[in-house]
Amino acid sequence: MSEPTVTQDLIQHTEQPTEALAGVRSNRPRSLWRDTWDILKRRPIFWISLALLVMFLLMAAFPSLFTHKDPSYAQLAKGMDPPSSEAWFGYDLQGRDVFARTVYGARASIVVGVSATLLTVLLGGVTGVLAAYYSRWLDAIISRVGEMFLGVPYVLGGIIILGTIAPAQTSPNEVMIMAVVVLVLAVLGWPILMRIARSAVIQAKHQDYVQAARALGAGPIRIIFKHLLPNSLAPILVYSTITIGSYIGAEATLSLLGIGLRPPVISWGIAIADHTRYIRTGAHAMLFPALFLSLCVLTFVMLGEAVRDALDPKLR
Amino acid sequence: MGRYAIRRLLQLIPVLLGTTFLINYMVWQLPGDPFAGRCGQRPCPDAYVNAMRSQFGLDQPVLIQYWHFLTNMLTGNLGVDFNQVPVSTTLGAAWPITIRLALMAVAFEAVIGIGAGVLSGLKRGGFTDNIVTISTLILLSLPVFVTGYLLQWMLGVQLHVVEPTVSPEAPIDELIVPALVLASLNMAFTARLTRTSIVENLRADYVRTAVAKGLTNRRVVGIHLLRNSLIPVLTFLGTEVGSLMSGAIITEGIFNINGIGGILWRAITGQDYTIVVPVTSLLVLVYLVSNLLVDLLYGVLDPRIRYE
Amino acid sequence: MVEVLSEPGSRGTTGGALLEVDNLHVEFRTRAGVAKAVNGVTYTVDAGETLAVLGESGSGKSVTAQTIMGILDMPPGKITGGEIRFRGSDLLKLPEDQRRKIRGEGISMVFQDALSALNPVFPVGWQIAEMFRMHRGASRSDAKKKAVELMDRVRIPGAKDRVNDFPHQFSGGMRQRIMIAMAIALDPEILIADEPTTALDVTVQAQIMGLLAELQRDSNMGLILITHDLGVVADVADKIAVMYGGRIVENAPVHDLYRNPAHPYSKGLLESIPRVDLKGQELYAIKGTPPNLLDMPTGCAFHPRCPYKRDNCVTDVPPLNTVSGTRGSACHYWREVIDDSAS
Repeated sequence: MSEPTVTQDLIQHTEQPTEALAGVRSNRPRSLWRDTWDILKRRPIFWISLALLVMFLLMAAFPSLFTHKDPSYAQLAKGMDPPSSEAWFGYDLQGRDVFARTVYGARASIVVGVSATLLTVLLGGVTGVLAAYYSRWLDAIISRVGEMFLGVPYVLGGIIILGTIAPAQTSPNEVMIMAVVVLVLAVLGWPILMRIARSAVIQAKHQDYVQAARALGAGPIRIIFKHLLPNSLAPILVYSTITIGSYIGAEATLSLLGIGLRPPVISWGIAIADHTRYIRTGAHAMLFPALFLSLCVLTFVMLGEAVRDALDPKLR
Repeated sequence: MGRYAIRRLLQLIPVLLGTTFLINYMVWQLPGDPFAGRCGQRPCPDAYVNAMRSQFGLDQPVLIQYWHFLTNMLTGNLGVDFNQVPVSTTLGAAWPITIRLALMAVAFEAVIGIGAGVLSGLKRGGFTDNIVTISTLILLSLPVFVTGYLLQWMLGVQLHVVEPTVSPEAPIDELIVPALVLASLNMAFTARLTRTSIVENLRADYVRTAVAKGLTNRRVVGIHLLRNSLIPVLTFLGTEVGSLMSGAIITEGIFNINGIGGILWRAITGQDYTIVVPVTSLLVLVYLVSNLLVDLLYGVLDPRIRYE
Repeated sequence: MVEVLSEPGSRGTTGGALLEVDNLHVEFRTRAGVAKAVNGVTYTVDAGETLAVLGESGSGKSVTAQTIMGILDMPPGKITGGEIRFRGSDLLKLPEDQRRKIRGEGISMVFQDALSALNPVFPVGWQIAEMFRMHRGASRSDAKKKAVELMDRVRIPGAKDRVNDFPHQFSGGMRQRIMIAMAIALDPEILIADEPTTALDVTVQAQIMGLLAELQRDSNMGLILITHDLGVVADVADKIAVMYGGRIVENAPVHDLYRNPAHPYSKGLLESIPRVDLKGQELYAIKGTPPNLLDMPTGCAFHPRCPYKRDNCVTDVPPLNTVSGTRGSACHYWREVIDDSAS
């Protein structure tokens, strides 16, 4: 659900990063990335988010580095026991260690967030470049179809597709569950990326060097890959970073509704969903996964914003 | 302007048709059984399924089904749900509550969001600015349900400031916390948008002129700067009214509010698609119409915009 | 001081001119370093007098004007020295509240680009009327009536029908007239016009200059005309201050300067105006580029471009030498320059 808002923010801010930079440092002709890096490395928020990112990636790849406990080992007698020195985050409803489950939950969330974003970039990038580069006719169709998908509110779309494709009664394997969620997020999210890619390419298309390449007989494939794509790279990169964050949040929201990830997958969303009814008696089983979830989303949003601000100095 | 409005209205029709068709198709045609789970843990008897399929027209071709849906919607017939209760009856009681909640949320977004944005934009790099920047970043990162459960737990369970759930009549005072939760994301975004807009306009020549005219600081900021800076903010708030409706699903679900969102929440978890489809279509309509209104509002707010 | 302010038209007690800028210094502190935009500028303007301030962009002419108006962006700008006396009292020491009352009432300003200087979302009449409402407490309808009168006075055709139009609905020249109407609304004693015609077509430029001159005659204002175009000021100005690198390099009655300039830079400027009688000859251009404010040349800021350069120009900053009466030239070799121009 965080999707639409964060997105608009981006569309507004990332439209012309190249231009803005050119004005500021015209005396030293340097590359956009070099400049961005120079600004980034001086910003503490960038280093903080990078450190958090590394932590979460390690957690996703090697959860056993953080805990030696088995996240699936249930001691029913200890169900809902509060945090103690033995179990820092306490035990959940079925007596499983909440800390272990929270650490192991990182993997599903990050895998879903990253792969859904990759798929979104692929879908949106291709359609965006096609819409911008080819005929007005194709552009009109792609844009209208995009509007239709945007017309379906995010959570509603997820609910509808997931509710019908994979109802709670069926129990496919872990990979299948995750793949379906990834697909849904990407199918509902591509139009925004399409718009970003489209506007970046349209902007670049009319520039002299592209016109010149065309006049010299360069084919469409070459022009797209050599001249147009590099131009839309910066806004797409920023957008995708933040999107990973919001997809992680969206995945948890869908899991909360019982239509996203499901056991046997371990995820923050499921942990929260399983314990919402026990908020009065034992909030710890829900609060700690929620904390990690929020921190993880924050990491990606923060990283994306740091890069965006560095790309667009006029906002500082 | 009149002609522009009509043209936009006409453009809206294909999008509306496409979106509602998409919803219908996804719900009824995608693999999976819409009646699974209607009979508890065991599969439904064939007779029941067949009766339901023919009642809801699932035995007919897709386009015919969609045509029935359209004609029903246009004549105001929202059909009955799986329990044979007319959907319009259920909705009739729910609309006022959701509208009340949404209006309160918009008010919070506008007052708190714009206030924080103005304060932080005027004193860029100052203490308030940093506080606003950090807190909006955090709000933007918190999924709505996390904010919801967190506030419910803190204010309702721990501090006993409010009831954790809202009573069926949903009076205004009980809706304050849910409305804040519903508003939280857009509030943070409104604050950021306002800040950016203020910062951009602060450097504008017309602000310098206003100072040179000998106006008080209050008037330069309150009239000249704000009137310009708020154009994109108001546009944003308008556009987001539509998405507030779908945000209400989570919020109303958490606080057990009997609004449209709460109904959808229960329909989803109970997998009653007969409610999901018409209600979702209505929400899409609200979303598209509010976008159209915002477009027209933009022309009123900014005299430079001229519709061809 | 308050009494002086409350009596428009009084000329203060010191016997000085209406507006005196005295040894003003302004810097900009940026990430790249300190840019010295104004380095000891001194000039005066009296009622009914027109001073033209001439210089390239970056010469400090606009910054000086903004400092007089009190609309300099601070930070990055910073006033590091000098006084600006209006009716004898130093504006830089006045509390903000009194300073504000002088803006529009005592001193007002016309900006270069009227399209961006006017607020896009308010009708032009409203923007003019605001002066009367906020400074004089006039009612909405009275203020609007006065706005129409002013629009008539600056010769906007059909003023009554156009009072509710927005800035973007006017042509460039008409917009500048509205800007002027707004600036003269409260009969200020000093009007600063910062490149008022730069954004306009040549034919419209002449009309606007004519209008300014006429308004000034009628109301006996002091007018400061900031421009980079020597051609614009010849007919209107009484005296000229030529600025270079944040300093005044020459000030002189307008005809003296045109007849024989006493500074190599003014001489260069005059020679680079195309002249009909020298048709066929190559056009003169001052060689080199304007100075970098972050890294000013030592000594005389003009020395890298100066044909009269000697060794001491690189080391010694030339003072503003008195040429005669009110004339001054900041050149070590002004005698040579003036002799050359006379021949």
